[in-house]
Amino acid sequence: CGCVLAEGLLTTTYTEEEHLREVAYSHSTGQKEQLSRCLQRGIRRVQDLCKVLQLPMVFEETAVSYFQRALQHPSFHLVSLEKKELLGGCCVFVTCRQRNWPLTMGTICSLLYAKQELFASVYLSLQKELGLSVPALSLGDLVKTHLNSFRLFQHAADIPAPFVEDKEKMVTRTMQIVELASETWLVTGRHPIPIVTAAAFLSWQSLQPATRLTCTFTRFCKLAGVDLPPPAHLRLKELLEILLRMASQLAWLRVFNMDKKTVVKHIGDLLQHRIFLLKTAFCLEDGEEQHTAAPGEGSPGEGSPGSPPAAGEAAQEEGCPSEGKRQCEGGPRPLLPPCLINPRKRLRTAALSASDSAITGDEPISDSEIEQYLRGPEEIRAFRKAKAW
Amino acid sequence: FKDDLSTSPQLFTPMSPYDVDLPIQTTEDVLFSSQFNQPKELPTDDFSVDLSFLPDITQDNKEQNLSEDGHEMQKELDGSTSRNEDSSIFTHESTLSYPDASQPSPGATDVYPPVTPMTPMTPVTPASESSGIVPQLQNIVSTVNLACKLDLKNIALHARNAEYNPKRFAAVIMRIREPQTTALIFSSGKMVCTGAKSEEQSRLAARKYARVVQKLGFPAKFLDFKIQNMVGSCDVRFPIRLEGLVLTHQQFSSYEPELFPGLIYRMVKPRIVLLIFVSGKVVLTGAKERSEIYEAFENIYPILKGFRKAS
Repeated sequence: CGCVLAEGLLTTTYTEEEHLREVAYSHSTGQKEQLSRCLQRGIRRVQDLCKVLQLPMVFEETAVSYFQRALQHPSFHLVSLEKKELLGGCCVFVTCRQRNWPLTMGTICSLLYAKQELFASVYLSLQKELGLSVPALSLGDLVKTHLNSFRLFQHAADIPAPFVEDKEKMVTRTMQIVELASETWLVTGRHPIPIVTAAAFLSWQSLQPATRLTCTFTRFCKLAGVDLPPPAHLRLKELLEILLRMASQLAWLRVFNMDKKTVVKHIGDLLQHRIFLLKTAFCLEDGEEQHTAAPGEGSPGEGSPGSPPAAGEAAQEEGCPSEGKRQCEGGPRPLLPPCLINPRKRLRTAALSASDSAITGDEPISDSEIEQYLRGPEEIRAFRKAKAW
Repeated sequence: FKDDLSTSPQLFTPMSPYDVDLPIQTTEDVLFSSQFNQPKELPTDDFSVDLSFLPDITQDNKEQNLSEDGHEMQKELDGSTSRNEDSSIFTHESTLSYPDASQPSPGATDVYPPVTPMTPMTPVTPASESSGIVPQLQNIVSTVNLACKLDLKNIALHARNAEYNPKRFAAVIMRIREPQTTALIFSSGKMVCTGAKSEEQSRLAARKYARVVQKLGFPAKFLDFKIQNMVGSCDVRFPIRLEGLVLTHQQFSSYEPELFPGLIYRMVKPRIVLLIFVSGKVVLTGAKERSEIYEAFENIYPILKGFRKAS
């Protein structure tokens, strides 16, 4: 063992001692040197992120260990500094998701000032290279966390009194609406936050429709102090459509001419009977679960006018037989994702024609066919002049 | 989403790949039932074709596999976690009936048919057992070595169908009409050909590009033509609960709706990446041979069908 020192620093007599500096343990043992500066900086960044997000200590340890593993991996060792910085954020993100801590990519990206595409590519590589299995984002948890950032639960100067709402009630109802959205295919494949925002708006409106029906979605988000992501309007529209269809199955609501505004008043009822209403309002694809369409929930008073007469009337009105036949002749629409209900007209690439499939790959190639791709001499001259090559 | 989970608690039983009390016969390579000898029995139900004798082979390890013991064969097939998972998850389904477990697996050594490497061919409509859906090839990427240095500026000047922006990309981009494809031609003489709908088309197109380069005065050859990637797509025609699929097949799936609407499924055997969408459309990529695309789809179809019932 031994370190090489510069000349002249080793003194022989006490009087020559000038540099009375203590040598730190980490210095003498080279502990810090074992970790590259890049790794040190990265680890610090991961730790800072965890502190900002107020994550439990164990999360920090996990995230740091992922980060160290990742940086050692050949595919990350030589990436740009920008990517290495994102890598730290990815490790924190993965840790949170694995422990069901609802953290969205949007949040992490804004903390890192990162472009989402770049973050996405680093995240996917990390997942693949380290073989990490990341569970899906729990919507229930996301609702709770997202609603935490809403400003409507306490009185404030700029918020009209009737707009303030009880947090518990709003969380419960928003969760129910989000679950409803999930059952009706509005959630799969879509960004989660716009759905939660739209559900929050509907739940807030329905808790006190008298005063809140006039408030627009945009105004609601402004008052609540949250962003209104563009897809949220579409999600709201889709949710209202589902609710309207469900409302058409409630006998005592049929007398009203329901529209997008009025249905909000009855969201409470619709949610209460949602399982039954979904079964009658929509044609389930396989229909095997449809038979047990007993109104399991709800009081008998509400249930009985609901079930047989409603089903019967539904059969008359909408043509879907109450035995649960699979075919719905233009009646209740099938319960399908919106992309299947409104398919965008797309050019379908035709399957290989017979002549195409007969190609062997060894066909002779005629000269004329190739020559059509070559420029003639005059063309070349003109081109040369134009391009000044 | 809560309702989904409550109706199928079996989905959460942990399992190990060797824990499955199941015969090895699973849906695999059903396509080849017509190419090779008929399976021992023609079942009426799904997924009970006995194709265990078919090894997962390439030209290289053909000889090795032919001498493999039947038991080793079984282990290899059992070890594929993806198939085992779905088999054991869905054994409660009445439609998936498996042949009697006590039936001896065919001795692999004596049933090996004379195997030819998977020559590309138009897919034969499978008999009855499989999905009945054939993925359509959408894109083939191939490479070839023209084995001579090329002057890209010269090529761009003399060829009508060439594009060359050295500041943006260091290759000539050339296109031909028939087969409708695009080629990237590099100064090293290497070439990439994309856009063809079949292996043969890709080869024909690559040859045409090589001829163009030849006619421009370069001593282009046609060495090491190789299919690098094949992309196929199809439609299972029912919606899929991606959030459920990612729960039960976590180690293979990546579903991030914040990033991408589809679920990315990395199948181990064959090594294919599938993009599965809520609409039921499936994209398969990463294949070097078209049989891998068909096999991958036949593997995923029962998994997806299982989700249809559960939702």
